[in-house]
Order: sequence, then C-alpha cells, then structure tokens
Amino acid sequence: MSIRKLEHNLSPSFPKVRMMTDMIGNGIGFLVIGVLFWLDYYFAWPAWAFWVLIGALILSVLSTVWSMVEPGYLYRSWSYQYNDEYLQLSYGIFKKEWMTVPMTKIQSVSTTQGPIMKRYQIRSIKVETMGSSHVIPALEEDVALQLRETLAEFAKLKEVDE
Amino acid sequence: MRYHPLTIPFRIYQLVKNSLFIGLILFVFNKDSEFWLMEYGRYAFVILVLWRLIYIVAAWFVEKYEWKDRTFHVYKGVFTKHTSTIPFSRIQNVTRKTTVFHKLVGLTSLTFETAMDGEDDSIHFEVLTKKHADYLIELVQPGKENTPIEESEPEVDPSIGEQEIVGEEQGPAQEKSRTIHFTPQRKDLVKASFTSLSFLAIIPIVFGVIDYVEPLLPDQDEVEGIFNVLLHSTWLLFGLIVVAIIIAVVFGFVRTFIRFGKYEISSDTRYIYIDRGVLDESYFAIEKRKVQGLEINQTFIKRLFGLAEVKLISSASPNNSDGSVNVNSLYPFLPIHEAYQLIEELLPTYKVHTELERLPRKSLWVKLLRPSWVWMIATIGLFYFKPEPFNIEQAWWILSIVLLILVVLNRILDYIHTRYIVTTDQIQWWHGGLTSRMFITKRRNMIEMSYSQNRLQRMFHVASITTMNRSVPAHIETIQDLPLPYALGMENWYLKRHEDVQVEG
Repeated sequence: MSIRKLEHNLSPSFPKVRMMTDMIGNGIGFLVIGVLFWLDYYFAWPAWAFWVLIGALILSVLSTVWSMVEPGYLYRSWSYQYNDEYLQLSYGIFKKEWMTVPMTKIQSVSTTQGPIMKRYQIRSIKVETMGSSHVIPALEEDVALQLRETLAEFAKLKEVDE
Repeated sequence: MRYHPLTIPFRIYQLVKNSLFIGLILFVFNKDSEFWLMEYGRYAFVILVLWRLIYIVAAWFVEKYEWKDRTFHVYKGVFTKHTSTIPFSRIQNVTRKTTVFHKLVGLTSLTFETAMDGEDDSIHFEVLTKKHADYLIELVQPGKENTPIEESEPEVDPSIGEQEIVGEEQGPAQEKSRTIHFTPQRKDLVKASFTSLSFLAIIPIVFGVIDYVEPLLPDQDEVEGIFNVLLHSTWLLFGLIVVAIIIAVVFGFVRTFIRFGKYEISSDTRYIYIDRGVLDESYFAIEKRKVQGLEINQTFIKRLFGLAEVKLISSASPNNSDGSVNVNSLYPFLPIHEAYQLIEELLPTYKVHTELERLPRKSLWVKLLRPSWVWMIATIGLFYFKPEPFNIEQAWWILSIVLLILVVLNRILDYIHTRYIVTTDQIQWWHGGLTSRMFITKRRNMIEMSYSQNRLQRMFHVASITTMNRSVPAHIETIQDLPLPYALGMENWYLKRHEDVQVEG
C-alpha cells in the first residue's frame, strides 16, 4: 500500500529555509563549544569537563549532518487539506501521522514569519484547538494568509452544546 | 454578600492543621537547636501565622460574592483585588462536602466547577448553611432561564444565611424525581476491601506506632526474650499470626467501609448525583450532557474479583486537591456487569457492547517486535552498575530477564485485551496489559482524531488510532496496531461527524 498524501504541499522553499535556520543554530552551537574548549584550555578545567565537551561536539556534528537531510524528508512527508468542516494534516518521517481537526473546534489561528522566512516570502501557521495546537511550518505568503482567513471564518462557527 | 461568619474559624482550623507539622519541628523537636535556620525559622513562623490570622479576619470583611442575571460575581483579595465573573451556564459540576468539622456545627461546603482555565475557574464556599447550599444548587440549575423568578437582588438573601435551623434535615429540593442506581452491598464492600489491599495499610501504621512507643518499651534484651519465647512455642506464634491477620482484615474493612460504605449513585433526567461518605460526607452532581465519555479501569486484582472502576470524563477540571476519592470516579469497585448496566442506565444514549472485534494475529507480532526502551535502558543500567543484592553475582542478568518476561507478558495481555467496535455514533474499545481499560465516547464529543503508522506498523499494515476529548487537560486515548483499513474506515466515519452535530452561527 502506498503512502496516502493529502491535497496540498508545503512551500517548496521549506527545505532551504529550514536548512538555513538549522545551520545558524548549529553555527552558534559550534561557536559556544569552541569558546568552552578555549576556556577549558585557558583555565585548565578538570579532565571530565574535556570529555563532556567532546561529547557535546560529537552530538553537534551528528545533529548538523541530520539537519542536512531532515528538511528534504520532512518536506516530502508533509501535506494538508481542508474543506468547510475539517482541517487535515499529515506528516512524519519515521512515524507518519494523519490528523483530523473539525473546524468548529479551532479556537485561534496565527501566522508567524522570521527574517529568513521573510526573504523567501513564506509564513508558518499555528492552529490552536481546545486540546492541542498544530503548526504548518511553511506556506507561501498568499496561501498562508488566505488559509488563515478561511480557518478564522470557519472557526467562528460553534457547535450547539458547548 | 459576605461568606458565612464561621468561615473564619474554619480557615483558622485549616491554618492550624497545615502549620502544625512545621510548628512541631520548630518548637518541639528542635526546641534547643541553635541552628540559624531553626532560630530564625521560629520568628518567621510566628510572623507568618500572625499575618495569616490577620488576613483571614480581614478577608472575611472584604471578600464578597453576589449574583445578577444568572452570573456569579466573586470579589477576592484584601490588597490585590480580584474579581471573577462566572455565568451559571459555565458551571459543569457541583460538589458538596461535609467534613467532620462541618458536621459538628451543622454546616456544609460547596464548590461549583467550570470548564474555564485559569485561577478563577471555580467558586468555593468553604462554610455555608445547608439551606443556603441547597438554595444555591437550585439557583444554578439550568432550565430556569424561562422562569422569571430571578433572585438577583442579593439584599434579600442574607436572611437565608442567618435563619438556618429551620428545616435542615430534609435533603436537597431537586431530589424529587431521582432514581437510585447503585448502593454497595455488604458483599461488595468485603470484596472491595480485599481488592484494594486495604488490609496492608495497617503495616505502616504499626511501624509508626512501634517507632513512637519504642522509648517506652522495656529494654532491648527483654523484648528479645519475649520474642524467643514466642518463636519456641509454635502454637503461641500461630495464634499470634492469626490474631494479627484478623486485626489487619478488620482494620481494612473498617477503612473501606468509612470511605465507600455509604454510597449512592442516582440520577434524574438531567443530572447524575453521587452521595457518599460516612465521616466526611460529600455530594457531587454533574450534568449528563457534559459527560464527554466514560472509562472503565480494571487492575489485575480487580479482574480476579470481577470488579472494575467506572470514571466519567467531564470537561470540568478535576482539581480535587483535598479529596481522597477522585470526584470523577463513579465507584471504584463495581461488579463488571453492573458497571455496564449502570452506564446504560445513567446515560441512555450510550450503548455498551460486549461483542467486540479482536485484533488480527499479525498485530501480536507487531506488539512483540516493537523495541522496548524501558527494558533496554534498564538492562544497560544493570550491565553498567552490576548490582549484587543479597550477594548474588548474577543478579543483573536475572533482573533483566525478569523485566523482559514482564514486558512480553504485558504485551501479550494487551493483545488479548484489545477489542474494539465502532457503531453509528459511538466508539468503544478495551486495551491494556496487566491493568486493562475500556474507553467509550460519542463521535460528537471527539474533538480531534488521528491515526499514525511507524515503520514497523507500515510493514504489517497496521496503525494506531488516537482520539481526543474535551477535559482539563485534554483526554487522549490511543489504541495500537489496528488493521490499517479499519483505521481509514474510522477516519471516514469521523469525517461524517456532521450527522450528529448541530452548528450554530
């Protein structure tokens, strides 16, 4: 059985943006580790501190390698669709999830845009429901704004008995 | 309107109760200590207690409540004022508790819980007259919107607060059309006292007593002498053990009886009522339509005795910090068939099925092949530390194997226990290993649904289903390793939710 996909995909710029964000994060991480190594050398910290730092370095290298591959996989795994009644999301690399959220249970919608996202003109959407919150990580600006309007419109509806 | 004047002594009583332990440490056990923490602690303690006393008295004069247009306005705080507004329609359940303190003065306490988040999500009357409690309970009942007798003028009501002793013995006014569904029989209580292992509760108490009286006992050698005499006479020892067991069992039974002896589950068309308690009485009412789902829990021991605990999942926050019994639990020791019957009687929209579908054989393989993180981490830990309890060198791998057997047993039991059924507007499933659980809810009460597949599940074409119900925090249920077509079918079923939901603009 092939893996089921929903109607829409994320913005194609998602892997690039994600990779860049991760890279900056990792860069800062390496810088901090570098400074710590220097401090270790300069103040002659006990031996175990050195090994802790080596451990941190190995973890950072691994996470950097992973952050090179992950965005591509994540992009391919993501899809979503919506109609008058439901918002459906599907994502996950190792464990694939398919969520169904009734529109009437959505309580708030918000979009965010960081500096890198701004350059590529994409936004992320956060949908909060009564029990949880879901984030669609990257959509083209116009798509995102339109989806936000649609969701906000439907979210106004409430079920009898609440 | 002010709270009942006895709120002041009640709060002082609570203050004494809560600070007694610290007070004892500071002033009795360490009275000669010159450790700075003790020395300054004593001053701090006195100041804090005095401060609290002043606050309690001042708060009574300042804190008020009133109601207008079917809404409570509660004014709290002496220095920082805090006003909360709670519409009657938001009140989800009503708890009335009569502790021994309340009994002595012939009063009671009352809590209205709502589904709102945050601090002011409930209204708590620590002390009030029974009559006023009945009046308030009656007041917040929905369905009164049409009757124009809005008792909105608080000026009229204080009189009720004062003239209490009139007719407090008759029960709440809404008792008229209640049908009683369950009261425990002596037989149930005996079973309950065994399944809850309440007879074991005597052990810590005995140790506590021994600790306490140890200094008073004759010196060590004499005690040992008595012990030796006992050990040498088999009959005496045997007799003593029998007496000990009888005491433990009687003690356990008394304890169970006090907690669950007087218990009554009843309902009318709109509400479910639970009245319980021998020493501390409590009354609990929840509106039927606010029940989001039901849960039956069966521990291993309860299954041996054929008992189960039924719990309501309601959207109100179950924040009973003081209660020893969970408010949302109907009764922890119901015979299983009575439990089914009770659910259907209380909530006629629910239909409990006994013929459910079972998992296919391949699900068992998925369950067994899934890596057990608990076992792996425990084994790595055991391998690294190699503990040697009782000087057994091989202990670490024996423990690891025992744990593995438990994990596997739990999974096989989970496979056996997992059963499920989806009907037109309702799902019901059982799952769980040593402790098994049943979950039942209506489609319209499910606020979210998802299914998921990890790599292993993908190979075997099975999936896990997760549902979410409204509660605080959200109630999440997962059933694992269902056939994939069934999961897809369930998603389709959920997408037809509009069949039982009405939308208002």
